[in-house]
Amino acid sequence: MDVLILASESCDPATEIICAPENVIELFEFSVPLFSIGPLDFTRTVVLTFLAMFIVIGLLYMGFRERRVVPTKFGVAMESVVSFVRDDLAKGTIGPDGARYAPYLLSIFMFILVANLFELTPGINFPLTSRMAIPLMLAIFTWLIFVIVGFSKNGLHYLFDIVWPKSVPLALRWLVGLIELVSVFVLRPLTLAVRLFANLVAGHLMLTLLLGSGWIFFAAVGDIGARSIIGIPWFLFGLGIFVFEFVVAVLQAYIFTLLSAVYIQTSVQPEH
Amino acid sequence: MEEIKGAIALIGYGLAAIGPGIGIGIVVGNAIQAMARQPEAANMARTTMFLGIAFTEALALIGFVLFFIA
Repeated sequence: MDVLILASESCDPATEIICAPENVIELFEFSVPLFSIGPLDFTRTVVLTFLAMFIVIGLLYMGFRERRVVPTKFGVAMESVVSFVRDDLAKGTIGPDGARYAPYLLSIFMFILVANLFELTPGINFPLTSRMAIPLMLAIFTWLIFVIVGFSKNGLHYLFDIVWPKSVPLALRWLVGLIELVSVFVLRPLTLAVRLFANLVAGHLMLTLLLGSGWIFFAAVGDIGARSIIGIPWFLFGLGIFVFEFVVAVLQAYIFTLLSAVYIQTSVQPEH
Repeated sequence: MEEIKGAIALIGYGLAAIGPGIGIGIVVGNAIQAMARQPEAANMARTTMFLGIAFTEALALIGFVLFFIA
């Protein structure tokens, strides 16, 4: 990204460092392909997606390459991640049957974690999950799984129980059923995707603005002299947000996985 | 009279953030109370707290989406 943004409306194109982009989407769009293989264009996002995939595979492979009596420190760390997802998230939320869904939950947890942490990786500084396509695709996977599980475990009762909840008084039943129908089949995947997307977009923008403006103030020392010292608090604030974003990245991966488990659980054992 | 510029969608998002803000405050406050009263149940309370936050946050997120769509 060669254009840093600053919240200034009047922009002189000659000093390209203080130009705001026409549209904020520029911070997230890499439409120029880096290279192409046949008809497939590889933009930076696609390359990073593959990188995240290989990192996840590599971490799990390195952790469980060989069975040892006394595992290495790295092996213990990977085992604790796996057992956290399988025992706490899958079995703890879905029930004893939950181990069946542990591979899926582990995959999305690891992928989202790595993709989120790209935001803080020096040299990359771009959270993959701030492109709507990626959280939306993951949310659609979860949607497909809980819908298919619901229909295969409960048959058409799954749908009837949602649109015609028996526990609600008859006069309100159609209204509650309608709300539930929209909530389960539209709002669930939408909010699942947007929650991840919005948190990472906000984090990426904050980091870009704070660290970028701090840098711009430092760089403008020749023009504005000692006033460039206001770059220091901005930069320090940016570093504080940096630590906060680490927490957000881990937490959002956890929340996405937890909600996927909860949605699958409502399909396995319908409440109504 | 001075001209006021900007998108009305911003005000809409601000309004949409009020309710979830209060809601998350209530959720977290009660979760902390629960954890303080029964520290042995802290893990369960924490998981449920994150679930409650996630569901409450959904309203603000819909506002956020509408801000971009509008």
